Amino acid sequence: MSPISLIARKESGELLKSGRGLAWLLALSVILSVLSLLLVSNTELSLLDNAQVVYMVMGTITALGALLAVVLGSDAIAGEKERGSLVPLLLAPLSTSDIVLGKMGGQVVAWGVTYLLSLPYLWAVGSSGQNLFEAIAYLALLGMPVVLGFGFYALGLSARFGSVRAALITALITLMLLASPLLLGPGLRQSAIGKVFDAVNPFSAAVNSFDSVVIDSQPLSMQLGRFLVTLIWLVMTLWFARRSVKIAEI
Amino acid sequence: MKGITLCLGACLLLIGSGAAWAAERLEITLVADKTNPPSPQMGDHMKFVSVIRNNSTVAAQGVVAWISLIQMDPGHEQPLDLEDWSAHKAVTRTSMAPGEQITVEWPMRLIQAGDYRVVISAVERSTPHIVTSPFIDFHIKRKPVVESQRILPIAIGVPLILGMLTLWRIRKRA
Amino acid sequence: MLIEIDKLKLVLRGRQILAGVNMHMQRGEICGLLGPNGAGKSTTLSVLTGLREATSGSVLVLGMDARSQREEIHRQIGVLPEQAGFYDWMSAPDYLRWFASLYGRRLTAADTGQHLARVGLDVKNNEPIGTYSRGMRQRLGLARALLNSPKLLVLDEPTNGLDPRGRREIHDVLLGLSQQGDVGILLCTHLLDDVDRLCNRIGILHQGKTIVEGNLAELLATLQAGRRYRLHLLSPPRDAALPPGVRLIAKRGEWWHLDIGAVASPDAVWRALLDRGWVIAEIHAEGGGLEDLYLKLTMTEVAA
Repeated sequence: MSPISLIARKESGELLKSGRGLAWLLALSVILSVLSLLLVSNTELSLLDNAQVVYMVMGTITALGALLAVVLGSDAIAGEKERGSLVPLLLAPLSTSDIVLGKMGGQVVAWGVTYLLSLPYLWAVGSSGQNLFEAIAYLALLGMPVVLGFGFYALGLSARFGSVRAALITALITLMLLASPLLLGPGLRQSAIGKVFDAVNPFSAAVNSFDSVVIDSQPLSMQLGRFLVTLIWLVMTLWFARRSVKIAEI
Repeated sequence: MKGITLCLGACLLLIGSGAAWAAERLEITLVADKTNPPSPQMGDHMKFVSVIRNNSTVAAQGVVAWISLIQMDPGHEQPLDLEDWSAHKAVTRTSMAPGEQITVEWPMRLIQAGDYRVVISAVERSTPHIVTSPFIDFHIKRKPVVESQRILPIAIGVPLILGMLTLWRIRKRA
Repeated sequence: MLIEIDKLKLVLRGRQILAGVNMHMQRGEICGLLGPNGAGKSTTLSVLTGLREATSGSVLVLGMDARSQREEIHRQIGVLPEQAGFYDWMSAPDYLRWFASLYGRRLTAADTGQHLARVGLDVKNNEPIGTYSRGMRQRLGLARALLNSPKLLVLDEPTNGLDPRGRREIHDVLLGLSQQGDVGILLCTHLLDDVDRLCNRIGILHQGKTIVEGNLAELLATLQAGRRYRLHLLSPPRDAALPPGVRLIAKRGEWWHLDIGAVASPDAVWRALLDRGWVIAEIHAEGGGLEDLYLKLTMTEVAA
């Protein structure tokens, strides 16, 4: 097995086998469960409301996935350094690139686990409504670059700052900033600045696509621009992570 | 004096009859399509068909016809925004020749349960009021879109399984 | 030559950290790297192991450049860093198995058991490393360093956190390795007892510079620094004659103060005394010998 796979396997093991990792997954499932249970009590939903619920669940899954990615990414380099487990890794016959790519592989697995964990919830709330298949597909297609991008960004910060706390705070502030337009609502996003921000914000791109596909039943061809925004985000954060590890003295 | 009164009366009669004659220039019919489900429920598709005919001897200019949907549930009466129900909300014609008729289909997806009334309205340039079709009332049955039999096992089961896994892991460690 | 460091200098963020380090070590030697806090010992190790790039000077490990060929060097050396960090959620056998796989090695359960037994770690398979004491973690770190049967073992404070028995056990492991003749051991420590017992070669750093480097016995002999111990005997010895090179300084009641000279290893002297019927209850190192040498040299540097 390649060193990258070995490190990715270790990272995945930490998520799936350690108490801390399992507790994270438990917390994720509880949040999704609470969201779903709130719906059970509401019997006045229209078909449109159901589509909005599916859209809301997709947005929540993407946000939770990004949050987990930020936590894992912030710990990736700085956490190992603080616990003293980074130096032994650097003294093994691995390149720094192997270590970073392995950590990124761990991020991919973490998103995969989050996505699989969320599928039963999506099915439960959306199976009687519209566009469930599209919801599942678009969550994978757009959710992945957005979530992984946040993970790589946090990993880069972890390398630069050398401190888990500093990396986590900075990454969380960025996440909140990019998620903020969604909290403001469509009215406030109609200004010139709001529109520009919406256009370049990967989080907005993903969530607006979910809206268009699940609620308005728009086709893929109308989402290509937004998909491109999420891909650019992914590429930029990948570059940032690799560059940060290179220039930081880890 | 008598002559002026008679003249005025004749003018009024002419204007009145002219108005009555103009109101009948457009005629609109509305029927439910035969393929509509007999007992529609949320998520179904329905279609209404209307025929707009120019009954006059003069061409009707700038004809605009549109569909309106009104919720009739007692206490919840309101006109509905057809944004999510239908993409086909209106037709226009620059001119309709005397005797010309157009058939228009009005498809829609049934988004919400309740009692509804659908009507087609039309105007043309020289008629000073709206012309409407007869109403069609229909009921949309509720379809459960959030099935608790599906949600409850997932919402309770997934955290339960993960919780047991976490506990087992902690016990194994101890 | 396992290690060849010549005129190593390192400047970090405008500060001169290393100002001329020299070190040479052959196969089979145990070399002690000494120096006061902040002398540059750990920094020297980080350059030696390729983690930092030297500003100037030559650093060769196993004949290869320490920085540019570090991956290949890492394949052949084992390192125990000062802070022995692990993945606390893993068990020791799982951790060793995973770490060995980074070297392309597959360990069976028997292999991991052997590795752990070698360093005196007796652990239940499923105990996570997070529950280990400091001493256990140190032993596990040594097991990790020995996984790839290294040609050079670099140990930074290896007996940190160990009780006297534990320290002795680690010493025995290191002596055993050295006696095989293939392995060189570089020991970075501030514990003179460890150096005294283990090392046949030392280098002393002070303010980022090597102030002395060479064979320990020769250095002691050159500087006429003996090694003094006091022994507590339970009964008067059957044969009070001392082995060659050992001299009695004083006798106070049951305490015998000896100078074992510069050449003999303490272990060999105690064995010889035991053979002569000496019933030794305690042995304490006293001032003189390595400690004298160290203090003399580092204070000379300070004065200069």
